Amino acid sequence: MSRRLHSPTTRLSAAPLSRSRRKALQWFALGCGCAMCGSVNARLLDFDLQAVEIASKTWAVLGRSEGFEQDNGGNIVNVAFIEAPDGVIVIDTGPSKRYGDALRQLIEKTIPGKPILRVYNTHHHPDHFLGNQSFDASVIAAPQKVIDNIALEGNDMTDNLYRLLGDWMRGTLPVAPTLSMDADKENVGGKQFSLYYLSGHTSSDFVIRDDDTGVVFSGDLAFLYRAPTTPHADIAVWHQSLDTLKNIDKSLLLPGHGPHDKKGEAIEQTKDYIDWLHGSISESVSQGLTMNEAMLLPIPKRFQGLGVVRDEYVRSVVHLYPSLEDELFPVIEINQ
Amino acid sequence: MVYLMKRFNAKLFFSFSNCQSVFLSGLLLMLAISTVTVSGAAMARDIPPDPLNSIMWTSMAERFMPEGEIVFDDRVKVMAPFSAEDQFHVPVTVDASQLDNVEKIIIVADLNPIPLVMNMRPVKALSYIGFRLKLQQTSPIHVGVKTTDGVWHVGYAVIDAAGGGCTAPAAAHGNADWMRTLGQTRAIASRTDNSSARMTMRMRHPMDTGLAVGIPAFYLNELEVKNSAGELVASLELFEPVSENPTFTLRPQVGIEADTLSVSTRDTEGNLVDFALSIPAASDS
Repeated sequence: MSRRLHSPTTRLSAAPLSRSRRKALQWFALGCGCAMCGSVNARLLDFDLQAVEIASKTWAVLGRSEGFEQDNGGNIVNVAFIEAPDGVIVIDTGPSKRYGDALRQLIEKTIPGKPILRVYNTHHHPDHFLGNQSFDASVIAAPQKVIDNIALEGNDMTDNLYRLLGDWMRGTLPVAPTLSMDADKENVGGKQFSLYYLSGHTSSDFVIRDDDTGVVFSGDLAFLYRAPTTPHADIAVWHQSLDTLKNIDKSLLLPGHGPHDKKGEAIEQTKDYIDWLHGSISESVSQGLTMNEAMLLPIPKRFQGLGVVRDEYVRSVVHLYPSLEDELFPVIEINQ
Repeated sequence: MVYLMKRFNAKLFFSFSNCQSVFLSGLLLMLAISTVTVSGAAMARDIPPDPLNSIMWTSMAERFMPEGEIVFDDRVKVMAPFSAEDQFHVPVTVDASQLDNVEKIIIVADLNPIPLVMNMRPVKALSYIGFRLKLQQTSPIHVGVKTTDGVWHVGYAVIDAAGGGCTAPAAAHGNADWMRTLGQTRAIASRTDNSSARMTMRMRHPMDTGLAVGIPAFYLNELEVKNSAGELVASLELFEPVSENPTFTLRPQVGIEADTLSVSTRDTEGNLVDFALSIPAASDS
């Protein structure tokens, strides 16, 4: 098992670039998170992806409600593909080249002989775009901010997944979308999509609605039975985006992680969790608790059924503490 | 595989050092019997094997806990996450408040290029410190708490981390104006009970390690807290691995009356920052 660290060349980045580089270095996965204590796996590294038809000519490939681990190879994310009269539309591409290749095969098996006309990336987190390499870059589309985020942080996030997942990542390189989206609607292959430019989970969260079926692909603005992640979150903005998402007319919602949802549970559960998270961590900061003390606090029963909730809560303490300290601690008069 | 080799070597090394120490202790005993004073006892002390099998443990003990018996002690609690979400800000809380007569607390990150993080003397404060450090790679953390009888009580944790925490430029350097906010401090303080308080402070400072290309070392290296009677509450000697915008939580011991804590800090360029924090009287809180 190799533990790949950041190459010396990227460590020499000039000072003005350091902020983005640091942000990217901070994008650290959860769980045991250490390649060295994962069990040596003799079996073939095969995802065995399954397509679930969640609506007419619409398939979801559902990931496990876990963190990045050697045992799951990073298959923890939902991706989807849709058959249009003239071709196929793909939403997110998974965590690696290996996953992207497996997804291409699954699409070919499910809808033989149709060209892939469009790939949308919902945001720049590595589990959602690192399969881009398996697709023609000229059809991959996202808002400009997602493209910028991938350009800034893609390399370091890729390095970190190599560190966590080892050989599952072999050959994977970050490929940014080439089409910068800003239209409210797009017609692809005889099907119309409504596009929403939201944020809060990251600085740019792209939501896609299939106007024929009414299926909404929320990316990571919504989670279901899997704890939301916060490495780039702005909780207040995220809350507003969930209100917007709620008001979009839909027959079904596919969250970024967790099962597809007909009853509006994902939006409510995500909102409930991030509001609790913000409130609980604010309270810990106000009491002067250290991060370590806050990490031990109980998590309400209603969230116990969310996958990896303790791991994600511990990560969120690290993500949210510094800005809440700046917000909640008064500036003290100093003598210099 | 490499990791296993390291563990194996470390074990071999420890068993060797134990044998050697037993032999040396025997030799010393003989010397002592022949009425020679055991002034060389410190050199021959038995450094106990590290439960983490850190390959650097013996070196850490020799460099930073130079004299006195060393015992691993559960009363030195080291709270740290298994995995550093952010290798620039890894939270650690040390609580050795179950130990009496604590003279000083030293904190080392064995595999950091600069291992020594801090040397704290709790005088009128609980033997407790919350802080954040930078990690260059996955590392054991050892905390030595020296009691006035000369014994080092040692606690530990190991933290998995992505690389580069000590050699990347501080975030401050992404902003040309960073010096304007240098020393800006945010803090809160409150009373916990009739005899103790809790203070948390966060100061703007890049805490440059000197290991990022073109940026010399520049860090907060002294922090002292006194009470209104002028008595020393705690003093902290700080080193390069302490995180940017250093954040500390301390638990001063106070009387039931209101008190004002005076905090004074100094960095390696001689910049002094002083401020005061009020603790309400027990009857008011």
